[in-house]
Amino acid sequence: MALLDKAKEYASERGYGIEEVHGLVWIDVPREDLESFFTEMQAAGFNYLANVIGIDYAEYPESRPQRFAVLFEMVAMKGWRDGDGSRFFARVWVPEKDPQLPSATPLYSGAGFLEREVYDLLGIRFEGHPDLRKILTPEDLEGHPLRKDYPLGETPTIFRDGRYIDPEQFRASIAGKDAGLTGRKGGARRGYEAYFEDVRRAAVKDGEDV
Amino acid sequence: MRPKTDVPLPEEPRELRSELMVLNVGPQHPSTHGVLRVVVTIAGEEIIDLEPHIGYLHSGFEKTMENRSYTQNFTYTPRMDYVHSFAHDMAYALAVEKLLGARVPERAETLRIILNELSRIASHLLFVASGLLDLGAMTPFFYAFREREAILDLFEWVTGQRFHHNYVRVGGLKEDVPEEFVPELKKFLSGFLAKVDDYQGMFDGSPIFVSRARDIGVIPPDVAINLGLTGGSLRASGVDYDVRKAHPYGGYEKYEFDVPLGTRGDTYDRMVIRLEEMRQSHRIIEQAVERLEPGPIRDADPHYSLPPREMLGSSMEALIYHFKLVTEGFHPPLGEAYVPTESARGELSYYVVSDGGSMPYRVKIRTPEFVNIQSLKYAAKGHQFADFIAILATLDPVLGGIDR
Repeated sequence: MALLDKAKEYASERGYGIEEVHGLVWIDVPREDLESFFTEMQAAGFNYLANVIGIDYAEYPESRPQRFAVLFEMVAMKGWRDGDGSRFFARVWVPEKDPQLPSATPLYSGAGFLEREVYDLLGIRFEGHPDLRKILTPEDLEGHPLRKDYPLGETPTIFRDGRYIDPEQFRASIAGKDAGLTGRKGGARRGYEAYFEDVRRAAVKDGEDV
Repeated sequence: MRPKTDVPLPEEPRELRSELMVLNVGPQHPSTHGVLRVVVTIAGEEIIDLEPHIGYLHSGFEKTMENRSYTQNFTYTPRMDYVHSFAHDMAYALAVEKLLGARVPERAETLRIILNELSRIASHLLFVASGLLDLGAMTPFFYAFREREAILDLFEWVTGQRFHHNYVRVGGLKEDVPEEFVPELKKFLSGFLAKVDDYQGMFDGSPIFVSRARDIGVIPPDVAINLGLTGGSLRASGVDYDVRKAHPYGGYEKYEFDVPLGTRGDTYDRMVIRLEEMRQSHRIIEQAVERLEPGPIRDADPHYSLPPREMLGSSMEALIYHFKLVTEGFHPPLGEAYVPTESARGELSYYVVSDGGSMPYRVKIRTPEFVNIQSLKYAAKGHQFADFIAILATLDPVLGGIDR
């Protein structure tokens, strides 16, 4: 594992933390140094970025330097040129107040979707990403679902245009007890029938015959 | 009104205007293998640019898995990549076993490999069948599904389910295979290689297939690695990277098999390489059947493995452990673990973070198809629209795995 030793040497020279458990290696890279770290590692032979993992440590029992961690899994691909199968995680601690870090996309184009996923689900911005948009969740869904403070289950799903799904009404509608399925934020939750009535009333006021 | 028949022709012939056209493919389109939406910019028939839009099947599995116990999560793992679902069960189990330090007994390990390779063959059969169907060849579809059905029947018999097996457990398997499983499996294996040759004979060398597939959608090895492409599509470009060989897991180091490689990285190579991989999987299963010996199928550690049913009547401790495991689940120590594995589509890994509770603190699933689909843009640019369908098919996307 010569390449892995090289990476560890590079890290210890600069005083980065190194953690080893179960045969896996994590190298803590400061946010400012990340770009030069990627350049250096790619030149050293880590040609494949396998994974970008975002973790929210908000409710973790052990204390962590920052709330978020982003892990880049760097691999020297075995079976191509000098790759010897070395792999490690470059870990970047990202503070809650300013959740952004440099993107790996200029060097590893495969990071494009992986970083968009972290941005979508955890709300961490990657500076220098050419196309940082949501990728998995609906365009009008607010919030970042994989954050630990994002509720699960009995919470109305609120969309930007004011539409929401109220779980209680939703269940009632399935049981056939109430017509309501979705509603409008701000209005009384009276379900579809009432909503259509409002639309009809508004249209009559505007002089349209509905 | 009478139709106008006396429309005069324009005096000067009109100038032929050409402009770029933006075409929306999907999300409901038979050739997208699910609900993939691709916005393609075309000039005439040539593809100038394209952009895949995903997320139509997003079910929030990662969030759900944070709120279910480790054992309950085996319900979710096969539902992502529903074509090669056994790989997901195995990848998740391996990561949790690493957290726990569990030892999988020999027989369970061998059975896992047999079933994983069977599932891989079933997945490749679907790949060949639907890929050729997208190119207009209908006959191979029916033949490939004949074998696929045989494999799915075996799975149904062993696990009770055709797709969502829920058969792997942390530390081993749910239960042992039926007694007549091995003879039935041998019966299936004995005729299989000849059938693979049949499929190859159906399209390999056919001038129509060659002209549709040769030098179409070429991805050079350097670009493929940079794009994160893995699996058969990467090996078609000539990169000898198979996780089963490069980072052996779950007992794969004990088996002899070759990693088939392509030379050009085009649609043709990506199609043919899957046939060779089926032969290699067949080879692994044959070796595994020879190795199969009676023995336990689950790690006996009572901290995470259910006690034998017959002990519940006589042992108080067994009853307590059983109750605790069923109602609460087991508690792996604090830490993070992860094992890269090879699914039919490429490198698959589960990164599991434990906070000491009975539910994982965070599960990150790296599905190969999610990363592989990025190569579509590179591969399809500059080709004709009909080739785009073929390129998409040979990148082997499964949308359940892409969107999770």
